[in-house]
Amino acid sequence: MSLQIYIIRRILFAIPLILGITVVSFIIANAVPADPINANLPQNALNDPELVAAFRERWGLDKSPVEQYFIYLGNLLQGDLGVSIKTKNPILEDIQQFLPATIELATVSIVVGLTMGISFGVVSAVWRNSIIDYLVRIFALIGVSFPVFLLALIGLTVFHAELGWVAGPGRLSFLVDDPPQVTGWFTIDSLLAGEWETFWDALSHLILPSLVLGSFVSGIIARITRSSLLEELNADYIRTARSKGLHERVVIVKHALSNALIPVVTIIGLLYGNLLAGAVLTESIFAWPGLGRYVFRASTSQDFPAIMGVSMLIALIYVAVNFLVDILYYFLDPRIRLK
Amino acid sequence: MSNIANLQPKSNLRSQPNSRTFLRSTLRNLRRNPAVALGIVIVIVWILLAVFAPTIATQDPLSQAVSDRLQAPNGQYFMGTDELGRDIFSRVLYGGRITIPAALAVVIIDSLIGTLIGALAGYIGGIWDEILMRLTELYLAFPTIILAMAVTAALGPSIRNAVLALIVVRWPSYARLTRGLILEAKNDDYVKAVRSLGATHTYILVKTLLPNTIAPALVYASLDIGNVILLFAGLSFLGLGPEPSSPEWGRMVSIGIDFFDQTWMWLFPGLAIASLVMAFNFIGDGLRDLLDPRTRK
Repeated sequence: MSLQIYIIRRILFAIPLILGITVVSFIIANAVPADPINANLPQNALNDPELVAAFRERWGLDKSPVEQYFIYLGNLLQGDLGVSIKTKNPILEDIQQFLPATIELATVSIVVGLTMGISFGVVSAVWRNSIIDYLVRIFALIGVSFPVFLLALIGLTVFHAELGWVAGPGRLSFLVDDPPQVTGWFTIDSLLAGEWETFWDALSHLILPSLVLGSFVSGIIARITRSSLLEELNADYIRTARSKGLHERVVIVKHALSNALIPVVTIIGLLYGNLLAGAVLTESIFAWPGLGRYVFRASTSQDFPAIMGVSMLIALIYVAVNFLVDILYYFLDPRIRLK
Repeated sequence: MSNIANLQPKSNLRSQPNSRTFLRSTLRNLRRNPAVALGIVIVIVWILLAVFAPTIATQDPLSQAVSDRLQAPNGQYFMGTDELGRDIFSRVLYGGRITIPAALAVVIIDSLIGTLIGALAGYIGGIWDEILMRLTELYLAFPTIILAMAVTAALGPSIRNAVLALIVVRWPSYARLTRGLILEAKNDDYVKAVRSLGATHTYILVKTLLPNTIAPALVYASLDIGNVILLFAGLSFLGLGPEPSSPEWGRMVSIGIDFFDQTWMWLFPGLAIASLVMAFNFIGDGLRDLLDPRTRK
């Protein structure tokens, strides 16, 4: 199968999924026991039937649910996610404001998690049943068993309050100004502006939350890398490679690992979506001004358009990342090309 | 953050021709696995602590003693006291009475719903199967905790609604599992034999196929309990679970954040969650190893 056909097929697969995501978002955003009229109109306006009718017409509430859905879909196609009940801003604007902080955190976390997870997994599989293997397995177990908020609090106590190695909550220290916005990533923007002090400050604030989020990822990645590498190391082609007299390092890194990493690639997409969502807890502890905090505030004030806007966005990012992973697969696994 | 566990290889959870021998041999093997044994012991200890909490607790978990507020752990208060002078030790004990039944309820009800829907979809096939599979893919795309947050926010925060929300967001993975097992077993010889004897569809499904999916579903459920406990704790940490005064672990941690330097306020309830989740992961990992032919000796 050529790459073009493969990509077109993947896109065709994604379309019904994206439509489904919009349907679910619409249903949840509208299946609220509370009437949006009560939430949005002041008490004296509620007594005025003309105002209520005008409000219903303005927001399409007088139409049938199916019609409402198509209005909603039409708005979505124009990038209109609706208006947040809480902030009164268009949700897309709110998201643009909060998304970069989350993307920065999630991306750094997944890089940290992948680096730690893959190296730990390899070490653990190569020296199977050694002390290192047991230490790695305990670490991985802690990573997947400890609630993120507990890891965050322990990290803050030890590395911030006691040792003072890293900065505490927030993205920047109190007196440091935001760097001029280009990407929305404080680390990159400060470098672009040549503000070294801001860069170190931003980095110091980023380390702890990304380690906390990354530890969950690395726990999972280490487990998968370990079991998948162990499986590959038992395969016949490895025996062949060894009997050819290849150096053990070449056998492991070039032959076994490149195959063992295929399952790891598969779950990167899923992990990224989960990281964006898992950021809800981490961001609330680290006072990180991202989507997680936004969606949390939305959920405590029953701001359903905002909640569903964010979860739809995360679902779409999830679809997009998995699409990229599928394409990566095409290059990694020649068997797909033969189908 | 816990869709991930569902993605672990499931090929080991194959349907077994005879559920009873399968369970018996699994139980026998389990006894030889120290990690699993440790996990089982920790879980049993937590269950006993929760059941006998009224006897073991040194204080009423809700009673306030403002003069004794924010005390560090000492002879009278083993785990210290919180900002209202409530005894953390007693509250941690009572916390098990909320978390353990809540997680079990989610896992058991989801196994039932998932098994039923998954079995029907797998057996009937065609359009129903197609609909179920697309639906579960949709569910996977949505972030679990945000979906659960939306459901709890709509219903109003309470323990019951948090449990309901988790049931709503987690059944599809169970349905997927059972569907796969049924598809695999549907054309096995023993099913063909029963069919050729003239058995009805209901008989084949209920008496022949379903019993063989029970053991793998149990294993999956035990793997899932840890995730459910973490999600439940996360929801109540965010204030979407029990009321603030409730001795629920996630809730206690979130209150403890405001008293960051009083480490004991958040550390002990947090460790309670971690130890219970870890114990369930020990059991789940052990079960998976035992069932995986590649790692089985």
